[in-house]
Amino acid sequence: MPEIRLTVVDPSGLHARPAARFVQLASRFASRIVLRHDGREADAKSLISMLGLAVRPQGEISLAADGPDADQALASLAEELGPFVMPVTGRP
Amino acid sequence: MVSLVLVSHSRSLAEGLRDMVAQVAGDSVPIAIAGGTEDGRLGTSAPAILDAIRSVDRPEGVLVLLDLGSAALSLEMALEELTSGERERVVVSEAPLVEGAVLAGVQASLDADIATVAEAAASAASMTKLPR
Repeated sequence: MPEIRLTVVDPSGLHARPAARFVQLASRFASRIVLRHDGREADAKSLISMLGLAVRPQGEISLAADGPDADQALASLAEELGPFVMPVTGRP
Repeated sequence: MVSLVLVSHSRSLAEGLRDMVAQVAGDSVPIAIAGGTEDGRLGTSAPAILDAIRSVDRPEGVLVLLDLGSAALSLEMALEELTSGERERVVVSEAPLVEGAVLAGVQASLDADIATVAEAAASAASMTKLPR
């Protein structure tokens, strides 16, 4: 299951608007997509699930997808989140 | 796409919430509001609710959310004015207004059916706000 790690750089953390954009984009893919933060996991296609993670600024998230379009989904989502996140470098 | 009707005792509350849902869910979701009485006081108005429902009536369905239970009386009067065809397309949500509207708006923007949109709104009742 491909996975990418990101740091949320937006000063408001992962707030409602980017989370909603994220859900809208994730819903276009067939793969199961999850966002993990601080030992918890959210369904990236559910806004209530995403907002429940309460990701603070500089919080680290990882995004994993499982399904036929997993790689494509991760690439698109990382791009969509572009202004809000930075890739975590120097780690697997 | 499923549409939303936001019923509040306050016009400015309804207007503000409409703006908020539009920003979070995007402009594609049709939203109508019924806030305050006809003469601009705090309260609800059956004719205003009826107009709001009809203005966003569509085959996919209309989800109505309200702020306080006392709006239910005006809502009931408005629903009685609808034709049976119109009434079949309307679902009334028990969800808390603000959280329910945001969750329902995003779900509607995904082209979900009315049952799924209503379910998203209902999930607002168990939504956590403070970080754990």
